[in-house]
Amino acid sequence: MSTPMAPLARIEDLHISFGGVAAANGVSFTVEHGEFLAVIGPNGAGKTTALRMVAGILRPDSGRVFFEDRDVTGLPVSARARLGLGFTHQIVRPFYNFTIIENVMLAAGHGQTVSPWRALTSRSRDAAREKAQAILERIGLAAQASQSPRALPLGQRKRLEVARAIALDPKLLLLDEPLAGLSSAEATTMADLIRTLPGQGITVVLVEHNLGEVLRIADRLVVLDAGKVLAEGVPGDVMARTDVRQAYTGVV
Amino acid sequence: MLFVELIVKGLVYGCMYAMMAVGLTLVYGLLRILHIAHAGVFALGAYMTVTVANATGSLALGFLVATVVSSIAGIAIYRLAYQPILHHAAFVPMVVSIGLFIVMQEGFRLIFGAYGIAFDNNPWYVANISLGGINLTYVEVAMVIMSVVLLVGFGLFASMTRAGIGWRATVTDPQMATSFGVDPVRVRYVNFLFGSALAGIAGGLVGLLNNYVEPTMGGAVSYKALAIVVLGGLGSVRGTLIASLVLGVVEAFGAIYLADIFDRDAIGFLFLIVVLMVRPQGLLGRK
Amino acid sequence: MSAYVASLVSVVGINLILALGLNIITGFCGQVSLGHAAFYGLGAYTAAYLAKLGAPLPLTLLAGAAMAGVIGIVVGLTSLRVRHDFLAVTTMGIGFVFLGFVRKQKWLGGELGISGIPGPGLDPVPYALLIVVFAIAVTIFSFWIKRSWMGFTFDAVADDEDAARTVGVNVSTYKLTAFGIGTALAGLAGGLYIYFARIILPDTFDFVQSIAILTMVVIGGTGSVWGVFASTIVLTLLPEVSRAAADYRLLIFGAMLMLVMRFSPGGLAGLVKRKPA
Repeated sequence: MSTPMAPLARIEDLHISFGGVAAANGVSFTVEHGEFLAVIGPNGAGKTTALRMVAGILRPDSGRVFFEDRDVTGLPVSARARLGLGFTHQIVRPFYNFTIIENVMLAAGHGQTVSPWRALTSRSRDAAREKAQAILERIGLAAQASQSPRALPLGQRKRLEVARAIALDPKLLLLDEPLAGLSSAEATTMADLIRTLPGQGITVVLVEHNLGEVLRIADRLVVLDAGKVLAEGVPGDVMARTDVRQAYTGVV
Repeated sequence: MLFVELIVKGLVYGCMYAMMAVGLTLVYGLLRILHIAHAGVFALGAYMTVTVANATGSLALGFLVATVVSSIAGIAIYRLAYQPILHHAAFVPMVVSIGLFIVMQEGFRLIFGAYGIAFDNNPWYVANISLGGINLTYVEVAMVIMSVVLLVGFGLFASMTRAGIGWRATVTDPQMATSFGVDPVRVRYVNFLFGSALAGIAGGLVGLLNNYVEPTMGGAVSYKALAIVVLGGLGSVRGTLIASLVLGVVEAFGAIYLADIFDRDAIGFLFLIVVLMVRPQGLLGRK
Repeated sequence: MSAYVASLVSVVGINLILALGLNIITGFCGQVSLGHAAFYGLGAYTAAYLAKLGAPLPLTLLAGAAMAGVIGIVVGLTSLRVRHDFLAVTTMGIGFVFLGFVRKQKWLGGELGISGIPGPGLDPVPYALLIVVFAIAVTIFSFWIKRSWMGFTFDAVADDEDAARTVGVNVSTYKLTAFGIGTALAGLAGGLYIYFARIILPDTFDFVQSIAILTMVVIGGTGSVWGVFASTIVLTLLPEVSRAAADYRLLIFGAMLMLVMRFSPGGLAGLVKRKPA
């Protein structure tokens, strides 16, 4: 495609403080269609906070979030999810009283859950079940469909989290540390899995500590430090910068 | 003058509520359970006080027995009713507590009769003193003194003794406390012991105040105590104390000024609901 | 059917509507409510007041249900604001505020309530059958909700609200819907009750009544329609089976509540089978 498209999302000058401490001090960046963007930075840089503001879980003190040119800063999480802005938690939150496939079905049936009236008058779960089944197969959880999330190890629960988010038909998916707590083999598998998402039409922004995997799979990096954007660009360029290395190690 | 009198009376009732509410807050802070059966312990204390006092002629003995029996009852409730089901959602122990309260209340009715017992010899009921123009019965004065003594005593215990500090640590951060060698079960026993003793004594005092002990007396006070626990926010003892006094005063004024619209018991809850709408975390809770 | 049986059937029917309504709020959607009797009372008082003014039965029932449902939604708004554990006390408070208000209002009869309520225009037996029709309709409605996407979404809200939000569920709207439906049903029960009792007293709608309704839901198995249906019938008829048991009715309720929750929190339904989605 040669015509330049407007960015899928614009994050403009986000500020937020907790108990007098500024966790975000003017965070701004854009997200382009179809890219795989990683937000990285040292501990306490405010990465997760920024992501949660984009998702709508936190309300910024000031600043704006635009999604598809629309100001979503005031919208709650569920409204953003319906617009196509999805989010997965770092500490996974499956519905423990549902089976794996039911977890995904609820998301897949988002057309039926849009309003209580719609929900009351919809009975059939077949379409949602089929869609959920297909997603589970793509994600590699088809064998566990009838199990409870309690029976699954962390790696699979994290995949469930992604599967559920995909079922919402998002255009942009925000992932909060999807590789946290995984063994290196699991992390590689997970990284490979989410790498395929832009190919399926889902733009990805993730916050991650695991630099090894991130540098391998990301198209572009945004580096945060002390609540501000320090650098952005392709991984090779960004990681070569002295200020970036200094932020991480404290040493030039 | 009416203004001051209302405040004083309100504070007196506030002290009574505080004695109940502190026990509830202690349990809630530690276990996140709404210990509704606490009302039963209150009534138990009242019944013990009146029956022993009538049988032996000694109020002091009555109170002593009430304290001991209530403490034991409280610990028994924890051990038999709550401890085995702590791993369930909070709804479950709360409903068990409600069931237990009903059983206790009905038990009192079936054993002691529905119409209540009066003290044979209650000199404190009529005797009163005048402080700056305001009449307070001896019981009301005793209530204030008792609650101040007990609560200050507990405050000292919590800040100056090893057991007390261990208790505070457990409430704030149970895992940290255990790693420092604090025995969580013992802390819970102390919790229930002290809270229940307070409730039992409060029951005896209220029985003296009204010169009357009847099966449903636990209800009104303890429902308000629940409201106070919520109002004070998140299991904070200090919040509970302040909320108790505030509620006592609000109720005193409300009972006069809103007398045509709501009865006395509703006022406390009305206040609670209004406050929660404005501050969902309670008066002193943290979000 | 004798008049005695008709009155039994009527009480069972009314209790079914009450318990199933609470089951939608607490069992389906996971919102604790210890003040359900207040909505029963709201419906009853609304219907009784209108009935004495001469309003016909269908209108009074509708008004009772509507009043209870609207106030229920307002109360539901409180559930959106407060923490889970506080909701129990808040709903308990609603019950006391209602009672405290009604006891003081002369135009509602004060402590003496409303008496001299006109009959329903039907004999006791046909009226009992009318109540049964309503109870069955409510039961069918409960099953419908459970099998629909509303039931599915309620389950999610009850399980984990924040996770529900991330899958696009407007949690607030669903909670308010649960409250509105459940309380409107309580109001309907109240309206049906007045023609049966012909006199209503404030004390009928007190905290003990709220707990009695909760007991039927809990013992049946919070969330299970069959369980609640069965336990309501059993618990309502229990005092009738043994006259001697009548004095112990509340004691038995309390004991059952305590023992069932202590040993089988899923209620009867929990003993029979696991809850399917």
